[in-house]
Amino acid sequence: MPLFREAGIVEDPWQKLDDDAPVPADGMVLVSFARWREARAALLARRGPVGVAFANTDPVEALASDTSRLDLMTLHFPKFSDGRAYSQARLLRERLGYQGELRATGNVLQDQAPFMLRCGFDAFESDQKGFGEALARARTLFSVVYQPTEDGRATASLLRLKRRNAVAS
Amino acid sequence: MAKNLSGDLLVASANRLTDGVVVFLDDAGEWTKRLDRAAVARDKRAGEILLERAKAEAFTVVDPYLVAVSEGDDGVLEPLSLREKIRVSGLTFEAIAADAVRYA
Amino acid sequence: MRCVMPDTHFYRPNFYQYDDYDRTLVTERVEQFRDQVRRRLSGELTEEQFKPLRLTNGLYLQLHAYMLRIAIPYGTLSSRQLRKLADIARKYDRGYGHFTTRQNLQLNWIKLEEAPDALAALAEVDMHAMQTSGNVIRNVTADHFAGAAIDEIEDPRIWCEIVRQWSTLHPEFSFLPRKFKIAVTGSPNDRAAVRVHDIGLRLWRNEQGEVGFEVIVGGGLGRTPMIGKTLREFLPKDELLAYLEATLRVYNRYGRRDNLYKARIKILVHEVGAEKMREEVEAEYADIKGGALKLPAETIEAIARQFAPPALPHRPAVVGAVEALKLEDRDFALWLKSNVSPHRLAGYRIVTASLKPAGAPPGDASSVQMEGVADIADAYSQGEIRVSHEQNLVLPHVAVEDLPAVWLALGRLGFAEANVGKITDIIACPGLDYCALANARSIPVAQSISNHFAALARQHDIGDLKIKISGCINACGHHHVGHIGILGVDKNGVELYQISLGGDVDFGKTALGTILGPAVAADKVVEAVDALVATYLDARSAGERFVDTYRRIGAQPFKDRVYAVV
Repeated sequence: MPLFREAGIVEDPWQKLDDDAPVPADGMVLVSFARWREARAALLARRGPVGVAFANTDPVEALASDTSRLDLMTLHFPKFSDGRAYSQARLLRERLGYQGELRATGNVLQDQAPFMLRCGFDAFESDQKGFGEALARARTLFSVVYQPTEDGRATASLLRLKRRNAVAS
Repeated sequence: MAKNLSGDLLVASANRLTDGVVVFLDDAGEWTKRLDRAAVARDKRAGEILLERAKAEAFTVVDPYLVAVSEGDDGVLEPLSLREKIRVSGLTFEAIAADAVRYA
Repeated sequence: MRCVMPDTHFYRPNFYQYDDYDRTLVTERVEQFRDQVRRRLSGELTEEQFKPLRLTNGLYLQLHAYMLRIAIPYGTLSSRQLRKLADIARKYDRGYGHFTTRQNLQLNWIKLEEAPDALAALAEVDMHAMQTSGNVIRNVTADHFAGAAIDEIEDPRIWCEIVRQWSTLHPEFSFLPRKFKIAVTGSPNDRAAVRVHDIGLRLWRNEQGEVGFEVIVGGGLGRTPMIGKTLREFLPKDELLAYLEATLRVYNRYGRRDNLYKARIKILVHEVGAEKMREEVEAEYADIKGGALKLPAETIEAIARQFAPPALPHRPAVVGAVEALKLEDRDFALWLKSNVSPHRLAGYRIVTASLKPAGAPPGDASSVQMEGVADIADAYSQGEIRVSHEQNLVLPHVAVEDLPAVWLALGRLGFAEANVGKITDIIACPGLDYCALANARSIPVAQSISNHFAALARQHDIGDLKIKISGCINACGHHHVGHIGILGVDKNGVELYQISLGGDVDFGKTALGTILGPAVAADKVVEAVDALVATYLDARSAGERFVDTYRRIGAQPFKDRVYAVV
């Protein structure tokens, strides 16, 4: 499945590990949340980056103390209309301070890209035709936002305050 | 979805994508507004085939499905269910006219 | 046909006006949708992929055509906006629209390929159809007398606007388990039905004199009607968005997604219990509060200022000509009684334009009628109109002196029937005539009841009686909370109507109706209602409304009488 970042399509250097496969000594390894729970110490002890793939019902809060040790987290959209991963994404970015790659997997479609970007996703697995081109435009589709997220964009509310104060001074 | 599909005559119906108008699949595989031009399946198997055809032609319509109809002595087709009757013949009361100052 | 009006002033509307930020957002959404429609028509998008995209722009596919549900935030319109709605109805539809139980306007004959243009036209007057459908936060409704009612603590529309912005294109909450409806009341007499919404917000003043919100969660009608539970007794106003974000996040994460009919927040509250729900929300809120969502006082004030009551010139409270007309003209006297409500200023009244003329489809207005109401609003009501959630229109600031002129002008439109709150002020969903979800028709039932009880004197004798009709279990007609509720069902292809009694949503009293007995045939509904009314008239004590008598004597007498005739 093609992997996209905003700049364009990229190679996926990560190795997805089955739950019953042995953990390789090095290399970039992506494990399920269940596997992480079970083999955390071993995964961290090895050379090479580790990533965790969450189901959209997994408690991302469980990784609160490990966010700086992980380079990839993937969140899943079993159907594009199942929006649980948006909450998971915001918690990871805003509450847990995770700064690594946050990847959307599953039924990932271009019309949801603007929302995904605002929630903190920065990588996308999608086989939808035209996804890459749409992703490149997604951040600028809306020049005004009402809600604050970790993307740091100034909300209309904030801009109004600034404007009022600028006029006043 | 029509509830009683056994032993009834069946036509394939959908709403046209561009404007939502009710349409039926005709023998040529085109979508027509006219129920009297609809292709009629006379048994369950023929109905399945008709539905497959409708789905194959679904580019310009939304969600085709089978509608049970009856055939009068004069050959005039009429849907069996009230819902489908209304779909075909429209509102059962007089709507407010566009230029109405008051309700008639 | 235009009425001859006195000098029309152009009013600065007394509610939130879009600035460039709001306008940009609406315009960009229209352009995004235009592209989505193009990609749907070209086949690039499947119907499954496109459906949520069109729903979140208010576009349903109904029996005969697409229906566009236009948002009327907190039910408030300027005359300019109402005229534009008339224009859009004329240009893109069949020249009429239906005002809904959530204060929106529905146009029933829209073409998908023209929808982006219709939305662009709406954007010209700062209107839109965003999030009036789909699994998102919907139009936030308020009390239709807001800003004018005498019992108001604070104008709820300030908060509706704040919530409207926060919820519009919210990136985290655009794919909820199901729709989410919020209502706000600023008065102890809840005219916004807050206890039957996913979240209800009630402004109240505590002992310290501070105004805050009671937050009520998990109310709703439909398949499993429930009355909401209090999540938080008192929430400081500036923390409203943080608290809502916490609640929506809990719902988004834990609401059921396995079953369409169990996916509302009311089911989650029911299944985990109010106590657990409160715990979860409060825990989430503890992390969010005081942060970026805390509302600066300045922001609240800037919005509140826009809802400041209009500086209404002093007008006399008692007017000779009005008193005289009241004595001379019985219809005018009845109209004053039923369609005119007290205003916070003695020299003014709130006028309800009844969109329920005898025998008409309830809540519908033609383009010409909409323009007529806009003209009356300009001449007599500060250019402002409200939509009630009982499918009527409201003129919120009419001087007592102007009541006769307004009555005549509304009468010329057919909107002066003196039946507000009475038996023919029926609330009905569009039903099987329009709606793909319906099991039975509701409009013809409403029409037959309306025709049967048309005589005004009789209606006033019967008194306050709310009949609410739904064509299916989704309850868009709010039948659960009707004094008489009527639910259309389908039994083997035949339309039958289930009658319930004793529902209520007014004046802080929220009750769900109880089913009377077996469903009745379509042609027996009028007789059944007649029997119910007769039972009431025979049994009532002085001053008792229908619903009061029902509560006193119980269902049996009503049941006996109805089933003797149907």
